[in-house]
Amino acid sequence: MPENTPTPEDEALRSAPGVLSAINLKKAFGATDALGGLDLELRRGESVAIMGPSGSGKSTLLHTLAGIEAPDIGSVHFRDPAGASGAVDITALGEGARSRLRRQSFGFVFQSGLLIPELTAVENVAMALMITGIPRSTAVPHAAEWLQALGLAGLEERRIGQLSGGQAQRVAIARSQITGATVTFADEPTGALDSATSSEVLEILLQATIGRGNTLVMVTHDQEVASRCHRIIHLLDGRIRHDADASAARPGARA
Amino acid sequence: MKAFSLAWLLGRPVRGRLGPQLLTASAYALTAALLMLVAAGGWSFTAVQDELSGLYLVLAGLAVALLVVPLAVLGAAAARLSARSHDQRLATVRLLGGTPALAAAVTVIESAAVALAGVLSGVVLYLLGAPLVGLLHFRGQAIGAAMFMPVGAIALLALAVVAVGVVSAVVGLRRLNVSPLGVRTRAAAPGARWIRALIAGVVIVTAFTALQFLSAFRDFALMIAVLIGAFAAVLAVLNIVGPWAVRLLAGHSLTRAQTPERLLAARMILESPAAAWRQVSAVAMTSFVAVLGGSGAALMKASVTEESAAGDRALAQDILTGVVVTVLVSFIGVCCSAVINQCAQTLDRRELYVNLGRLGMDAATMDRARVRAVMGPLLWVCLGSALIAGILLLPLVGVALVLSPLTILVVVGTLAAGVVAVRASVALAGARLVLHSS
Repeated sequence: MPENTPTPEDEALRSAPGVLSAINLKKAFGATDALGGLDLELRRGESVAIMGPSGSGKSTLLHTLAGIEAPDIGSVHFRDPAGASGAVDITALGEGARSRLRRQSFGFVFQSGLLIPELTAVENVAMALMITGIPRSTAVPHAAEWLQALGLAGLEERRIGQLSGGQAQRVAIARSQITGATVTFADEPTGALDSATSSEVLEILLQATIGRGNTLVMVTHDQEVASRCHRIIHLLDGRIRHDADASAARPGARA
Repeated sequence: MKAFSLAWLLGRPVRGRLGPQLLTASAYALTAALLMLVAAGGWSFTAVQDELSGLYLVLAGLAVALLVVPLAVLGAAAARLSARSHDQRLATVRLLGGTPALAAAVTVIESAAVALAGVLSGVVLYLLGAPLVGLLHFRGQAIGAAMFMPVGAIALLALAVVAVGVVSAVVGLRRLNVSPLGVRTRAAAPGARWIRALIAGVVIVTAFTALQFLSAFRDFALMIAVLIGAFAAVLAVLNIVGPWAVRLLAGHSLTRAQTPERLLAARMILESPAAAWRQVSAVAMTSFVAVLGGSGAALMKASVTEESAAGDRALAQDILTGVVVTVLVSFIGVCCSAVINQCAQTLDRRELYVNLGRLGMDAATMDRARVRAVMGPLLWVCLGSALIAGILLLPLVGVALVLSPLTILVVVGTLAAGVVAVRASVALAGARLVLHSS
């Protein structure tokens, strides 16, 4: 079977239920249109790479989908697979409710990790649970399990400054997943890593998210990183220029 | 010339740089103003010459010496804040091919300029505040115009504060590794060792024993020397044992912490127990002296009668006023340095705070943690040193409390007001406010 032919897994994804849908998103910063009327549907279990030149609206789209920024026009609907109720219009929620949603249902991985330097690795991960009200005595053992699962056994008590870039990024991934995030937003998660570590961290991120049936949205400049996702969206001037399966972009795929 | 033009290019007040610079200059202004007011207060006692003026000068000197600690901490906080804002620009100088010496020169010039601007504002604050402080009564009359020092003394103090800023910048620079790719400062906090507690225990027991046998010393001068020596030794010991005690208590809090703010607060203190101690060390001494001075004032007030000399009656009241003023000024210093340190920490971690907010961790959690990280050590230190002073003066404190409870109440109330003021100051420097206004 040629490598760019959709696999049964790709076919299954196409019929997977939608988890996040954006309708006619528009956002401007002064005279610049960051998002120019954008529609998007993200499905459960799907990994989506968002690519495009600087200023094309990648980060604005990521922040708007995550409820960090509100669009000027348009809406973002989140359908929690575990939730009994229907879709929630994120753009209609207040700041407090959006913060709660981000804490409970979304995960975030940033380029520089952004871990709290005073805390140990395990405490950084446990903190994500503790801010949802879970006591430390319950959160820490759970965080330690996540760190062990991501290959950081024995490093739980290390401070962030004592970890390598790749190790710190794994801690950030554990922190993003410990609450059982339905959708994970990653902004250049491998941007500060060398190619070997980048590949390793990306594999861990994919396993921790889509490997558990959840959704990953990732902003990246790296074609190789993007090609490991199910789908690649190219943005230009705040609009989708290209939205296709990533299978064609994988190494060895036919032109 | 190159250093001056570079310093102007990289450090001139423009949008985005103005916030930290204003904060730094304000810190220097407050340091200078408080230092001048305290020095002027001490200076005012030179105006009267009689048989009690020597004693008044000694007491005023003691108060000024005590207030040097909070003011030095405040000055150091200002200097550190100034050094922090240099980090990025220092790396730029190196990236552009500048030598380490040029980077150092740029730092010194900018630090001196910001310190000078702050100190000049401090002189204005002093001149505005002096008439208010002049309303205080000592020796039966208001201090009044004696609060205004000669111009030479003002200039000398102003220069001293600028010099502290410049020296701190140079010392701070020696701890930095400025490379073209950035500036590295972090080093692991040195551990505070148990040996400190042992030394402290031995000194306190020795001081306590010496004070119990004070009456055995026949020579009055020797008795005074032992008294002052015992308290000076205990005060010195407080500084040795302080970081160790702060670390021990924070370690205890860490093991019990269940909520995010408690965990963060304990870790923030453990990051550098010495820094946490430094911030509240002035309160340790103030609290210690408040108990000592308050008990002394209470006993004197109880012993004076209608027949006592007017000078003796005034002395009892003046000691109490002196203790209250010393405690208040000390707490003002602590409040200011707490605000500056909190603002500096928040500005340093702007990116982290913003992104923790994106994660769903609100700024209020970080604010609560920072409040705990300051107030925890402050309360331990305040109560701990008051307790040690109380133990040393064990029978006298009890007697003072019985004979003149109002005097003791005034001192305790002043201490409590100081603690509340620090709490309010830390709230003022909340992350949301700092990040929105910068």
